Amino acid sequence: MSFEIPTISYNGVIRQITVGKEPNCVTVGGESCYPFYLFEGAMPHLPRIAMEVYDAPPEDWPQAALEPFADVVHDPAAWAQKCVGSYGAEMIALQLASTDPNAQDTPAEKAVEVTKKVAAAINVPLIVWGSGNLEKDKEVLRMISERCAEETLLLGPVEEGSYKALGAASLAYQHTIAASTPIDVNLAKQLNILLGNLGVPDDRIIIDPTVGALGYGLEFCYSVMERDRMAALTQEDERLQFPIVCNLGKEVWKIKETRLSEEEAPLLGDPLKRGVLLEAMTALLFLLAGGDIVIMRHPDAIQLVRGLMNELMGEGV
Amino acid sequence: MSKIICSAAIRGAHKIVQRAEAEYQAAMEKWGPDQEIGFPNTAYYLPIIYGILGIGVKKLKDAKDVLDRCRSLLPDMVAEHVWLPYLAPALEAGMATFFAEEIIEAIRYLESPDYYTRTEGPADGNIWLGAADDVILRKRGVEFVDGTAPGFAAILGAPPTKEIAVQLAQELQEKNLYVFMCSDHEGRKMSELLVEEGVQIGWPTRLVSFGPEYTAAVFAMGFATRVAMSFGGIKPGDFTGNLIYNKDRVFAFAMPLGTVTDEWYANAAGAINWSFPTIADTPIPEILPTGICTYEHVVSNVPYDQLVSKAIEVRGLKVTVSEVPVPVSFGPAFEGERVRKDDLYLECGGPKSQAVEWVTTRDMDEVEDGKIELFGPDVDDVEEGSRLPLAIVCEFAGRKMEEDFEPILERQIHHFVNHTQGLMHIGQRDITWIRMSKAGRAKGLKLKHIGSVLHAKFHQEFGAIFDKVQIKLYTEQEKVRESVEEAKRSYEYRDARIEGMTDETTEMFYSCTLCQSFAPSHVCIISPERTGLCGAYNWMDCKASYEINATGPNQPVEKGECLDPKLGQWKGCNEFIYKASRGAIDHYSLYSLMHDPMTACGCFECVAAVLPICNGVMTVDRDYAGMTPCGMKFTTLAGTIGGGLSTPGFMGHSKYNITQKKWISADGGIKRLVWMPKSLKEEIGHRLKESSERVGIPELLDMIADETVGISEEEILPFLEEKGHPALSMDPILE
Repeated sequence: MSFEIPTISYNGVIRQITVGKEPNCVTVGGESCYPFYLFEGAMPHLPRIAMEVYDAPPEDWPQAALEPFADVVHDPAAWAQKCVGSYGAEMIALQLASTDPNAQDTPAEKAVEVTKKVAAAINVPLIVWGSGNLEKDKEVLRMISERCAEETLLLGPVEEGSYKALGAASLAYQHTIAASTPIDVNLAKQLNILLGNLGVPDDRIIIDPTVGALGYGLEFCYSVMERDRMAALTQEDERLQFPIVCNLGKEVWKIKETRLSEEEAPLLGDPLKRGVLLEAMTALLFLLAGGDIVIMRHPDAIQLVRGLMNELMGEGV
Repeated sequence: MSKIICSAAIRGAHKIVQRAEAEYQAAMEKWGPDQEIGFPNTAYYLPIIYGILGIGVKKLKDAKDVLDRCRSLLPDMVAEHVWLPYLAPALEAGMATFFAEEIIEAIRYLESPDYYTRTEGPADGNIWLGAADDVILRKRGVEFVDGTAPGFAAILGAPPTKEIAVQLAQELQEKNLYVFMCSDHEGRKMSELLVEEGVQIGWPTRLVSFGPEYTAAVFAMGFATRVAMSFGGIKPGDFTGNLIYNKDRVFAFAMPLGTVTDEWYANAAGAINWSFPTIADTPIPEILPTGICTYEHVVSNVPYDQLVSKAIEVRGLKVTVSEVPVPVSFGPAFEGERVRKDDLYLECGGPKSQAVEWVTTRDMDEVEDGKIELFGPDVDDVEEGSRLPLAIVCEFAGRKMEEDFEPILERQIHHFVNHTQGLMHIGQRDITWIRMSKAGRAKGLKLKHIGSVLHAKFHQEFGAIFDKVQIKLYTEQEKVRESVEEAKRSYEYRDARIEGMTDETTEMFYSCTLCQSFAPSHVCIISPERTGLCGAYNWMDCKASYEINATGPNQPVEKGECLDPKLGQWKGCNEFIYKASRGAIDHYSLYSLMHDPMTACGCFECVAAVLPICNGVMTVDRDYAGMTPCGMKFTTLAGTIGGGLSTPGFMGHSKYNITQKKWISADGGIKRLVWMPKSLKEEIGHRLKESSERVGIPELLDMIADETVGISEEEILPFLEEKGHPALSMDPILE
């Protein structure tokens, strides 16, 4: 008897979602197999890497992360341009970290201004990510949604506590939203159902499963993403058949290991390479778990992940 | 449907369509067929015509088809001796009314371009705003979708005085509703009354003065129709979709103030198509049966001070309370706050006085939402260190309220009161014990605030299952005693009802998948006789949870065909388990520990395990840290059987479940119980005694071994033999 490779019987397909507007848009999703299981199905769109840009100069970044952007951190538009121009970013993720009431508490009007400037400076899709403060995000993202109606943005995080306000804004102004839930299959599904009930069309939802960095709970996130994909592809779970976005750059670069100097941690190796490797490994793992968009920070890490991705796609380095 | 209303509505519709035809003729002669017409700055043409008929009226000549449609829709006038049902013709007449009125208003825009301001608020002395453009629609429509503005009141005419006008407007604003105003009553116009009283009107204050004539009512209806197209993805011409969207999502109603003319009737009949009921101040006939609208269609003769609450009730609108109005902080952080003797200002209940909390259901007209009354002294009337008796009586009313929800709501009082800084709450029912601290009192906290807290929190967390709640607090001994008596009767009734519910007589069970985040294949099925294994959810809780959150972790499970009555397996349950466990588990038993027991997440209060030598079963609860006769401690057991597994011989369950009839009934039930920790035995002792009597072995409690007898099977077996434990003579538990 000859050996037969066991195959998985898929009965679902991930929806294809287009982010941004013509001609500067990208499409993600569409998978009919587990990530990179190209021998069993198709991945019509390669996962995309979005590069982070911050709305205010970062205060506590490790040297390794700061160095490539030292000349542009004071100007988000220039920063975004550098990401696209010098590092070939396919998407930009504007992190509105300074709007957090516990940070600078930048007013929503200012966030709108920055968003407009960044959007005008680039020709790739723009992701706009709030600070994670529920009430402030509602105010900020809602205003951006309205005032930047001419752009087609990917707005996140949209949580259970804000889905009505931000879902309605998406309906009115045609933005795509990142439905964010804390590392749980059922919660992710529930939020997608709620968004559907609100009337948000299925082609405007992307799942944000919430991710952590390598060494900081990544396994749990990985496992939940895997289960999201298993449910979507093999268990006919129609409300999970959405692409996944992983906002991981900010997670990796805040962990201790990316910040310790060589003197502080001589066993951990070159601090410049350390963070890059941690970020690249984290991103790669999330791509293997089903990520369709990964939001990253360091150009070298991105370079590494691109290479690995191409290899996985059988396209050589 | 009332003949009087229908006749009037149809008469009105005829008049309005005739008027539209006449104005159309005149306009055609003056401007010619190719003259462009429409409302300003909108992609929806004349929105009702576009949304319902799918016709985009761009030029004067396009209106011809619409007027023809009006004619074909218009029913004959109602004759004196016709007794047919009238609803359908009246609705069609109402629809024709709106089409005709849109044409009238479009011609007005053509004839008098400055008739309306085309702005968000009054401009240059003109208060009439006219149709909302698409910018306003998008900005304001968002509020309709996300619920910050649940709907609107379309007011025709005006109340008799300025004071009432202001009062009405404020009340509607407080409910976050938009107020759309048009037409007049004896020359008085609502918008003008407000302006005269110095009230700011316009879109930003949600007091929208559409126009002076009744025809401006179409701007309100057009707005609703566009919301469905813009936010609901409803295609132009999909009238069913549009009307259903409005029924489900736009909480609007018509409020005619003053003499209801034929034209007003025609507009009101039209609004019923959108499921917007009419609430009138004048004694017009009522239409009470449910049909198109969610509840009543026309409610009349309502006093001014009740108009808004009546409208909200009839339209089925939910009240939102955003803040808890107390002078102290509020939140879960204060749950653990203790008020000790030295901090104590006032004490109610406990060992030395009487206190009770009781939730009950009343009729809709018996409850005034938000009414909080205190009968007797409050904290300021007594000295530091005093005691008062206290009765907290919460009276609920609602279209979806069920008496089954009473215990669930009542149990929340403990949390809500505890979340209030300066208050400590212990106990429940008639053993309630509340303490107020000196610090709380110093900040202005009063007993009456308990009512404010409960009103706000009940609405915030449980608004889905009731409409109104009023709270009465009594601090007079006699009144408290009366309340306790009344409450006790209610408790007995409730207990008997829950006890009386059986799995056999219940078709719908509930699921719980709350724990799947860490136990992916675990699915709880919760039936009346098998409460959740965590002890936190019984069947009633799940039912309420589902009512509150229809997409949440507690879903109804139709048990379906019974596959095995002894083991407790049903076709519907098994199918649900298969799907909800994503294919990992395809069946289990509700009543057996030995044969395909229910999966266990890890949150169980107790673990039962088979003891083969004793031919029985032991159970151990989470609080018992010692060794057990099965050779494993609770933690080891939990680690072994948790995580979504179904492990024959082991089962997770709640403490309460032990004394329910169906607990491992397939394996012999409580007669198999040979060992349990002493503390657990004491905790559930009285119920265990009742269960023992039920199975005909009243002395069973004394036959069950505990750790004082032994912690191995060998140690407890002689005890069981000596006591003559029934398990020893039962069929072998291992087949």
